Amino acid sequence: MAPNEELLTVRNMSKRFYGTQALDDVSISFHAGKVHALIGENGAGKSTLIKILGGVHKPDSGVAEIAGQVLEFAGPSDALAAGIVVIPQEMRVVMAQTVAENVLLGKLPSKKVFGLVPAIDRRRMRELTGELLGSFDLDVDPEVTLDRLSFAERQLIMIARALNHDARLLILDEPTAALETREVERLFDFINRLKSHDVAIVFISHRLDEVEKIADECTILRDGRVVEHSAEGVPDRAEMTQLMTGRDIEELHHSEFREKSEPLLEIDHRGNGSDQTENVTVRSGEILGLAGLLGGGMTEFLDHLFGAGDEVTRMKIKGKDVALKSPQDAIKSGIGLVPSERSQGLIFGLTVRENIVLPNIDKFSKNGTLSRKAIDDFVVGLIDALDIRPNDPHKEVRELSGGNQQKVIFARWLAGHADLLLLDEPTHGIDVGAKALVHKLMNDFADDGNGIVFASSEMTEVLSISDTVMAMRAGEFVGRYSRDGEYNERALRDALGG
Amino acid sequence: MQETRDIAGKSAEIPSSGISEWLSAKRNLLWGQMPLVALIVLCLIASLLSDKFLSPININNVLMQGAVLTVIAIGMTFVIIGGGFDLSVGSVVAVSGIAASWVMLETNVVLGVSAGIAVGAFVGLVNGFIVTKLDVNPFIATLGTMVLVRGLAFVVTEGQPVMGDEGLPDIFTDFAIERFLNVPFLVWLPILVLIVFSWLLHYTAYGVRVFATGGNAEAAYLAGVSVKRIKTSTYVWCGTLAGVGGVMLASRLQSGQPTAGGFYELTTIAAVVLGGASLYGGEGKLYKSVIGVFIMIVLANALNLANVPSHWQQVAIGVVIVAAAAADRWRRR
Repeated sequence: MAPNEELLTVRNMSKRFYGTQALDDVSISFHAGKVHALIGENGAGKSTLIKILGGVHKPDSGVAEIAGQVLEFAGPSDALAAGIVVIPQEMRVVMAQTVAENVLLGKLPSKKVFGLVPAIDRRRMRELTGELLGSFDLDVDPEVTLDRLSFAERQLIMIARALNHDARLLILDEPTAALETREVERLFDFINRLKSHDVAIVFISHRLDEVEKIADECTILRDGRVVEHSAEGVPDRAEMTQLMTGRDIEELHHSEFREKSEPLLEIDHRGNGSDQTENVTVRSGEILGLAGLLGGGMTEFLDHLFGAGDEVTRMKIKGKDVALKSPQDAIKSGIGLVPSERSQGLIFGLTVRENIVLPNIDKFSKNGTLSRKAIDDFVVGLIDALDIRPNDPHKEVRELSGGNQQKVIFARWLAGHADLLLLDEPTHGIDVGAKALVHKLMNDFADDGNGIVFASSEMTEVLSISDTVMAMRAGEFVGRYSRDGEYNERALRDALGG
Repeated sequence: MQETRDIAGKSAEIPSSGISEWLSAKRNLLWGQMPLVALIVLCLIASLLSDKFLSPININNVLMQGAVLTVIAIGMTFVIIGGGFDLSVGSVVAVSGIAASWVMLETNVVLGVSAGIAVGAFVGLVNGFIVTKLDVNPFIATLGTMVLVRGLAFVVTEGQPVMGDEGLPDIFTDFAIERFLNVPFLVWLPILVLIVFSWLLHYTAYGVRVFATGGNAEAAYLAGVSVKRIKTSTYVWCGTLAGVGGVMLASRLQSGQPTAGGFYELTTIAAVVLGGASLYGGEGKLYKSVIGVFIMIVLANALNLANVPSHWQQVAIGVVIVAAAAADRWRRR
């Protein structure tokens, strides 16, 4: 295949999931030897598209073709056979196996011992892996197990593996989300070298500065549609943002100032291995946003505030010193946590009412016996207030939709009269309507004189609802922005990307 | 992943007609009572196969056999709902029977019975410690204590039954013989245990915490549940009840025997699964585990009455366990 030739073409592809049009008449071409950036907000249709290309989903209409030949995938293995490799954010690797074993997985060289007994040819494995990694200037010992390597090294090795399996279209889904700047540069070097192998590369990222740096062409998706295609380079950043969101960033900002008074929480945070501490204060009526990239240490910080970290948490709650040894202690101090994954927050096999009252269930006990009626009376009010559907406290939580499940976790902490909420990516993966409701809940909660610490890797979201934003990178605070000072996405991105 | 999960989740909101909803609710209700239906059908078949099945002697026999296993299965249900597993109960039955017999021969019946139960509770505590503090997989942890405790039972008895020269005290052995309202005391005890522990598991805050821990330990921890303490408590209950079972069996056997309780762990685990509890934890009903026990016992009893050779009985029981577990997986899909 000659460079810059059309490799894979998507024609008029549509896909509908129940009520949502995930892809709407999308046409895109990917070219050999070029990096094609695919950008858009969460839910714009990027993942649906790559899942169809990867053989996970089937399109309702439209086709993907390579050299005029229509691709028909019964499953992911067919896509692999056609040379389409997806490197997901969370890689499936066998940690206890060596680099060589992982790279050659499924293609292990064999020999015959005494000309008879088939066995794996270890020496050949070493040679093959060494050759392959060497051709990309990757200096890694083929004999070490993967758990000894950094995330970034594992990622490069997985990409090398894909190429060993004759990949023609390589899809990188947010490959830089968990990487540090230096590692990103290394990855980009690597990608540039791949281009000379005539591989077509699809690059998905939320970081627009990286897209500018690496992309040869660019397609912007919004609500399942292609809103912009640029065959030469990428539009400027303001334009990209505008195209992605369909509105100007300024519109998203809330300008309302709340009365902020007493400090609810004060903690001196010490970053990983650093001597410096950063004071973090949340006042009642304040929403503190933590901005950062995936793996930036926000989750660990919130877990620490909740007493769920490795160490005892020492901080001040309403001016009083506390030492939290477990979430139980945090809950007693009036703190609630909404974890990033709903599977960490909810017990799916329990009912809505049990999930809501779990932290305070002892209050509903009379002489040791639970009063189901008291629980129902109490929970029904919350279900109405949060509009949890179906409004049946006896339903098992697993029967609810994602947005409604998220509301159940909120209801839990409202029920417990928490006055400080820790929210880790609270709108991750829920639909637009539920997202708006979560934002409203957060606002109301703060308006009532409570505090919120809220982590999100979606910068527009952090900026739109926080009173103060702190930028976090690799577990350390690298910037602080409040609405009376510099408060914009550019400043935040500079702090996080630098 | 996010997108599809969310979109798929929405299907729950698509309004369905009232009738189909009612039907599916009834279907779940019927499936939920499958163990009971199976037991009744089994009893019907057994009574048709042999007129001896419904004879007072045989019913008494079935109840006596079920009594000990019921008590143990109740403890096992606690552990399994809490997300654990306990293979050591059979060995605990032996060692607690031995301890009870030995202590009551040296002192008196009350101390003897207490000692037997205490030994069970202690083994449960050790299991809980190994699983929660040492973080060992429950299967391996209790496999270890199962072998260890059985070994100890043989070491301390030198392989001989413990019954003294004149046998165990009459008041102790009478417990398995004497009747109240024409039902042996030995059968009244599991009924009492079932009532108390059903209350504990299904009607208290502690019970909800057990379900939460087994259903999703991480989420339970983040909701303020002391997951390790709850898990340990389930092993203690299981050990304690296995201890009670061991004392009951010693009363029936009129001795403490190092071989007692063989295969009880497998029988009770099978019974709990037949009763519909999930081996992944967080799901189950105590009374259904008891139904599971009686499915196992009635099945063996019926095969006996039908003169099926004992080794074929094992084959048949194995088939039933696998079929029931497979049917359960199929239902959950």
